[in-house]
Amino acid sequence: MHDFRRFVRERLSLPRLRAGREAEIVEDLAQQLEDCYSSAIDRGASEEEAVAAAQREIPDWDALAREIAASEARDRTPLDVRAADHLDTRAASHADAGGGGPLRFLSEAAADALHGVRLFLKRPGFTAAVVVTLALGIGASTAMFTILNAVLLRPLPYPESDRLVRVWESNPGRGMAKFGVSQPNFLDWREQGTTAFERLAATQSRPQNLGGSGGLEAERIRTLAVTRDFFPLLGVRPVLGRDFLPEEDAPGQGEAVAVVTRGLWQRRFGGDPALVGRTIVLDEVPTTVLGIVPEFHWGEYEAFVPLRPDPAGNRADHRLGVYGRLKPGATLEQARAELIGIAARLAGQYPASNEGWTVALAGFFDWAVPEESRRGLSLLLGAVGLVLVIACANVAGLLLARAAGRGREIAIRASIGASRARLVRQLLVESILLACTGGALGLLAAHWGVGALAAAAADALPRADEITLDARVVLFTAGLSILTGLLFGLAPALHATRVDVQRTLKEGTAGGGGGRQRARSALVVSEVALSLVLLFAVGLLLRSLAVLVEVPPGFDTQNLLTASLTLPDSRYPSMKEFTAFRERLLGRLDGLPGVVSASVASGLPMDGNGTMMEVYPEGGAVREDGPAPSAQWRMVSPGYFHTLGIPLLRGRDLDDRDLTPEGQLAGVVVSEALVKQCWPGQDPIGRQFHPWSTKNPPATIVGLAGDVRLFSPDQDPGPAVYLLYGRWNPMQIAVRTQGDPMALAGVLRAEVRGIDPGVPVAQVRTMEDLFDTTTAPRRFTMALLAAFAGAALILSAIGLFGLLAYLVTQRTHDIGVRLALGARRRDILGLVVGRAMLLTWIGIGAGLAGALAITGWIRSLLFGVGPRDPLTLAATAAVIAVTALLACWIPARRAARIDPIEALRYE
Amino acid sequence: MFSRELKKGSTELLVLSLLEAGPRHGYDVGKSIERRSGGRLRLRIASLYPMLVRLENRDLIRGRWIERPGERRRRYYRLTPEGRKVLARERATWKEFMAAVNAVVGHGHA
Repeated sequence: MHDFRRFVRERLSLPRLRAGREAEIVEDLAQQLEDCYSSAIDRGASEEEAVAAAQREIPDWDALAREIAASEARDRTPLDVRAADHLDTRAASHADAGGGGPLRFLSEAAADALHGVRLFLKRPGFTAAVVVTLALGIGASTAMFTILNAVLLRPLPYPESDRLVRVWESNPGRGMAKFGVSQPNFLDWREQGTTAFERLAATQSRPQNLGGSGGLEAERIRTLAVTRDFFPLLGVRPVLGRDFLPEEDAPGQGEAVAVVTRGLWQRRFGGDPALVGRTIVLDEVPTTVLGIVPEFHWGEYEAFVPLRPDPAGNRADHRLGVYGRLKPGATLEQARAELIGIAARLAGQYPASNEGWTVALAGFFDWAVPEESRRGLSLLLGAVGLVLVIACANVAGLLLARAAGRGREIAIRASIGASRARLVRQLLVESILLACTGGALGLLAAHWGVGALAAAAADALPRADEITLDARVVLFTAGLSILTGLLFGLAPALHATRVDVQRTLKEGTAGGGGGRQRARSALVVSEVALSLVLLFAVGLLLRSLAVLVEVPPGFDTQNLLTASLTLPDSRYPSMKEFTAFRERLLGRLDGLPGVVSASVASGLPMDGNGTMMEVYPEGGAVREDGPAPSAQWRMVSPGYFHTLGIPLLRGRDLDDRDLTPEGQLAGVVVSEALVKQCWPGQDPIGRQFHPWSTKNPPATIVGLAGDVRLFSPDQDPGPAVYLLYGRWNPMQIAVRTQGDPMALAGVLRAEVRGIDPGVPVAQVRTMEDLFDTTTAPRRFTMALLAAFAGAALILSAIGLFGLLAYLVTQRTHDIGVRLALGARRRDILGLVVGRAMLLTWIGIGAGLAGALAITGWIRSLLFGVGPRDPLTLAATAAVIAVTALLACWIPARRAARIDPIEALRYE
Repeated sequence: MFSRELKKGSTELLVLSLLEAGPRHGYDVGKSIERRSGGRLRLRIASLYPMLVRLENRDLIRGRWIERPGERRRRYYRLTPEGRKVLARERATWKEFMAAVNAVVGHGHA
């Protein structure tokens, strides 16, 4: 007996028809042919004659397939086909009319776009899924690029900023690569360094008290002392009045003058133009306001006073920040060579102070945007790129799945004469249309999010205040959208149009479907792999941060309130007044409810200020030829160690005996690290050393304190020397509280005002806040990376879910057969989950390789954890695997619930 | 026998009329048309089948798999209520059309 079912199956192909429907048609036709054959046999025909009779019933199978397809299509997707017909007719008529070239191309592209819009509107669910996915990917990329653009790409906001350089003194022998500059050295540079430099300017931070007036309280403001060239060097012009004249910057006691920022002018003086020429009180000194300058992204300074560098000053006192503007055409190298020459001459001239000192230079940009920021940003840009690639993979997967529904339309268009290039172009126009819609949404999201982003970046990134959307960002987003559209659209478009009509008709759905599934599986595998890489990076940063916050800083950061104040020279001219103020303040604070203890210091841990001294031990174990050990020094009040919770390991706390009224050091407390360096294995108590210079009389060690991380938790604690608080501005206050430290902020201000209403309290914050600012860049990088990794994970899960759901639908019949043959539900569940996990494990394997490949990149951002940390790797893989399990749960359950009778009825 | 165009225009009416009496399977539809027309109308599966698909998609007929004792499973097509209405309408149109054509053609001969 002839197998007509196979006969039909081999000849008739109905691509893109629902599998069940196609089977039904094959069966029906086979049956009819068989009836025809049987009746021929009944009439007495031979076997061959009967088969021939049946074959004659359908002379042209392709025509039949087209007619059936058209009949089926007419009622299901009439618009597609009609619109497509219409399109090609129109394109053809344009060609006929002689409208070739770009005009024709444009009109065709417009028609394609219109056609695309119609299709998308018909499938709102699909369109929304694609657009939201793309908006997520492109939006995140746009946001990241906005930051990158502001921080790395835009020139610094000064005219010809590429000619600006930062200059330091440098003493490589003592490990001080970039150090402050002394006043006489600066003056010599400025005078002699005229070949490469147009100007050199110096600055020194000098917080001042702005006297109260007109009902306003006194307040401390950030003031920067600057030399005469500072504003012209930066290209900053006053909006009102003028800046400093050279004679106003001459050493000695000149007239007190100041320039204020527009911000202070408006905040404090209501923008009154008459302020110029008027007198304000700075540190109790009446000071004439010369002019108002605009904000120019230079710290948070609100007022500027002349620095008045002293040629007779101490050459060993390195405190100035120095900046230069190169002459047009001069290079950084020329400038460096010139200054190094001058420094060498000075070292010969003043060996006591200048020996070993040279200079270091950097372009303004390299200085303003340090290497770590650049590395962090490029890591984030890479991460967001991965998210975008994953989003593209997802969308490509969706398009591949949809290609199933488009096959009919494409086959018909191909059959009526559309070339493959034409079809690919149409599909690409559609992809780009989708991508641009996503991009527009992403841009909108970035526009809304950029403020929050800039705020989050404030402590973490340089130039965070310059983060805004600009034309370049918009251009970037547009370009990225088109690129994205090509990226995710090209493969599906080539895939979908590979089918010429003949082959489609012969191949049927099964073969093409298999190829599509392979392609989609590959996409899902890559998504999983990329997600793993991102997640692994987040895991490493997270562990670094966890290790970091667990690092004992050497003191107790909790319940500690900090503040700062400056005692004006006029009323606090000597140590006597300072000590009286300090004792009165601490006496008042100690008696307050909620206060455990209070102390003052010249600098607190984590406040970013450093003061260095050289230590010359008497009879110590330090090599004669090497540089003297250096240590951070801090002036502290008695009780400081108790207030901060720094253990006093041996000896005693500082007291009045330790500093003579003339300011001579007698007794000091040193840290363990210094003892390890200078007196290893010995009892330091009673030992002596010369501070700063061998010419100074020796100080005696009276106490040994535990090591403290002074600058950030990721920097090892260096040697430290604690001296009794004498006279030092600004004075840092530390108050150990019983409860919430900020609850005492008002009380602290009131107590200071009670002692001296002319002394404002500034920078009131908790030690925990201070601590957080030191880890801010890490936390910023990690938070963004975590957000990206989360998005990647969700996208991958959606991709896996989509693929499996599609697979289950496609294999309904197969699953039905298995169930009918006695497979248990559990087996079916296992089948789907197994398939999902296979893909996931392949992805995890590929991801592991990727994760190990990025170790070089990420190493520098880690702390206390290796870039191949196996625990993090395992945890990451576990998170991915669990997510994959969740993603396949619904499709798996759907598969297990398939009714075999329903499923088999399909065929 | 008759020109293709003529047949094509009337196939729908033929199929619907034939199914009015009761369900038939696909091959039987073609055979019955041939039989009733005395062999003058012969529709190949290639022309008939797409018509069945079209009518079914327009909800005028409905196909169902039916297995009779001693027979293989076949797809039987029956008229839907909608199909019945359309048939009545087309039949009336057809009669009017034939009457008009006859009137013209008959006069010519007379």
